Amino acid sequence: MAKIIPRPKLTFWESLYFIEIFKGLMTTGAHARKNLIHGEFETRNYPEEAPKLPRDYRARHRLMKRPDGSPRCVACFMCSTACPARCINIVAEEADRTDIEKRPAKFEIDLLLCVFCGYCVEACPCDAIRMDTTIGVMVHDNRRDFVIGKAKLMDWNPADYPATDVQSQKAPGGSLNAEALAQFNGAGGASGAGHH
Amino acid sequence: MTDKALSPGNGDDGVALLAVDEFLAWGKEHSLFYLLFATACCGIELMQTGGPRYDLDRLGMIPRATPRQADLMIVAGTITHKMASRAHLLYQQMAEPRWVVSMGSCANSGGPFSKHSYSVLNGIDKLIPIDVYIPGCPPRPEALIDGVMALRHRVKKYRTAGIRDRDPHVVAGGDCEFGSHPGKDS
Amino acid sequence: MTIEAETLDGERMTLSMGPHHPSTHGVLRLIVETDGEVISRAVPDIGYLHRAIEKIGEKLEWAQFVPYTDRVDYVCAMNANLAFCVAAEQLMGSALAPVPRRGECIRVLVAELNRISSHLVAVGVSAMDLGAFTPFLHGLAQRETVNDIFERLCGQRLTYNYITIGGVAFDLHPTAVAEIGTFLDELSREMKRFSQLITVNPIFRDRCAKVATISAAEAIAWGLVGPNLRGSGVDFDLRRDEPYGIYGELDVQVPVGRNYAGRHGALGDSYDRFVVRLLEIQESIRLCRKALELLPPAAAKADDPVGGWQSDASKVLRKPPAGEIYVRTEAPRGEMGYHLVSDGSKMPYRIKIRTGSFAAVGMLEYLCPGLFMADIVTVIGSLDIVLPEVDR
Repeated sequence: MAKIIPRPKLTFWESLYFIEIFKGLMTTGAHARKNLIHGEFETRNYPEEAPKLPRDYRARHRLMKRPDGSPRCVACFMCSTACPARCINIVAEEADRTDIEKRPAKFEIDLLLCVFCGYCVEACPCDAIRMDTTIGVMVHDNRRDFVIGKAKLMDWNPADYPATDVQSQKAPGGSLNAEALAQFNGAGGASGAGHH
Repeated sequence: MTDKALSPGNGDDGVALLAVDEFLAWGKEHSLFYLLFATACCGIELMQTGGPRYDLDRLGMIPRATPRQADLMIVAGTITHKMASRAHLLYQQMAEPRWVVSMGSCANSGGPFSKHSYSVLNGIDKLIPIDVYIPGCPPRPEALIDGVMALRHRVKKYRTAGIRDRDPHVVAGGDCEFGSHPGKDS
Repeated sequence: MTIEAETLDGERMTLSMGPHHPSTHGVLRLIVETDGEVISRAVPDIGYLHRAIEKIGEKLEWAQFVPYTDRVDYVCAMNANLAFCVAAEQLMGSALAPVPRRGECIRVLVAELNRISSHLVAVGVSAMDLGAFTPFLHGLAQRETVNDIFERLCGQRLTYNYITIGGVAFDLHPTAVAEIGTFLDELSREMKRFSQLITVNPIFRDRCAKVATISAAEAIAWGLVGPNLRGSGVDFDLRRDEPYGIYGELDVQVPVGRNYAGRHGALGDSYDRFVVRLLEIQESIRLCRKALELLPPAAAKADDPVGGWQSDASKVLRKPPAGEIYVRTEAPRGEMGYHLVSDGSKMPYRIKIRTGSFAAVGMLEYLCPGLFMADIVTVIGSLDIVLPEVDR
């Protein structure tokens, strides 16, 4: 019932295996030389040397801000609909400006559910959510800390973002904030400036 | 020997043993052998963290194939209902002190499968206690290393009588949806 | 050496190998019945990673399913993306979902890069299972470079969600072409060293040669696909024989198994499948270079050079007319086919995925009897089984 597998008989030199081990060690030696003499280490000493993530990396989300510091989000639920993991929880409320209808009373992202696919960013019609914070490392030991709300999502500094990123620079503290704020207050200033 | 004699921080009792205990904890902290428990996508990232670029070996972490030799279980990947009993068995086979890291969205809460799939367990913490959660799908190797570093701080505080700095996180019968765990700021 | 299992009259022992076993490449469980050290029966038990991906597809819109295809085969997520998107595009028709030329070139580029990184894992892991740890590390080092390239390109290291229905999500970044060129040069140097280290090594060769020999007729009868089929000497590759995208222009050279172990081996043994994968890496390097040559110059973002998301959000809401289609593409583990049924609504009516590993797992029951217990890892490694592909 068992299949019989004849194996060829090795010649004396083949059965030594010794030369082959030596040949293999040559390759390993070549790599060792690259490491030791040229110092081209493959290994990164991670906790000591922080990595530089590209700006396009799909990292932790952030909510974009209007010039007055309120969220750009208009609570349209597009992102939470597009999300495959359903990890975005929005509660909408009426905004207090005439040119803006709604704003999020609550905007929560459950990072434990999030799969970082980037669909929320693509779905957003008003560039309110982005994933370019380059925060790729988030570790906690309980579930509660992973549900991040508006305060944490909007806690970012325009100075950390490139000057070419116009939307970020229009936020409070950004280089383009002054003129953007003037324009913003002029456009919908009928009922006061924002709700901060 | 009672727990009290060995309990840390009491100052006046168990001083001699405390030094031994600290030494043992130091040893445990720097040689966390981990169980190769890779079920899905995160397994590849776990493999690459153990690979040449990130090299978990330099943290004293060596992969073990059997749970009996492992201190740390990195749950890397989706746990389905069929796999759940096996995952639990593996956890039970590990010797105390044992630590569990939940890696990636699937192990944390079911990830993209949590709301739609009929066969996926929504979070390994319904089954076994979790010490550290790492979000991501899959998490970067840096995130995994950070998770391990966070765990090492807790391993350091472990004392022989089974005293941990605090109990690991378990969701007792609860679901992993919104509402069951309140948000930090609302 | 000859195994004569008939002469052994020891008690039969039933072993459960897996679902937690380091060399079953995931959560495969093999119920092995052994007669001494010789296997008399091996029954694969699958389903430990059944995540209902096909069923989930029926609840999501067409474009929303792409992240799930990443998880059908995570070792080569780009190819899995591509398989679904090509199928969906053909169902929609080229009028509804036209793919720009630059998008097609980038697709071939990333698919071949991911084929390289997938095969690097396959050959590295199969070598590691047989006790050679160093080649695995060299393979992973190269894979990290591919991951770096993809990370810059689409923002993730493993689950890319990059190829979309109608093109690719983002255009290449300015330095990508140079980066990929440098990587390909480095890789072809590294693959020579890799071969020196493991492929010609007689210890490794003897572990693989004449183990689990599959004849061409058997391979076809069991429905093997991809490198497993070509390892048995069957000259069939969908990229050449049924080209999709721009593969028709690329003149794909298909490596096939031809008893690479010489007098030690036989046509279609584990060693042949191993070597075919290594040769496919060489071929993919060539295809990548060719795709870079064919790459049309970048256009302005407004002109939609790659068919991405940014140009027109309404593209996401495209839905195909009622009908059904089966489209197959060549993934690293062989034919990956999507059978899509649409009833004209915004969600698919049915998605059926046909994958290469499923056929390979089915063949284990036929291949294993008569082999040594230690040879199981050779068989699983050489068939390159990835479990989410089997269970879906």
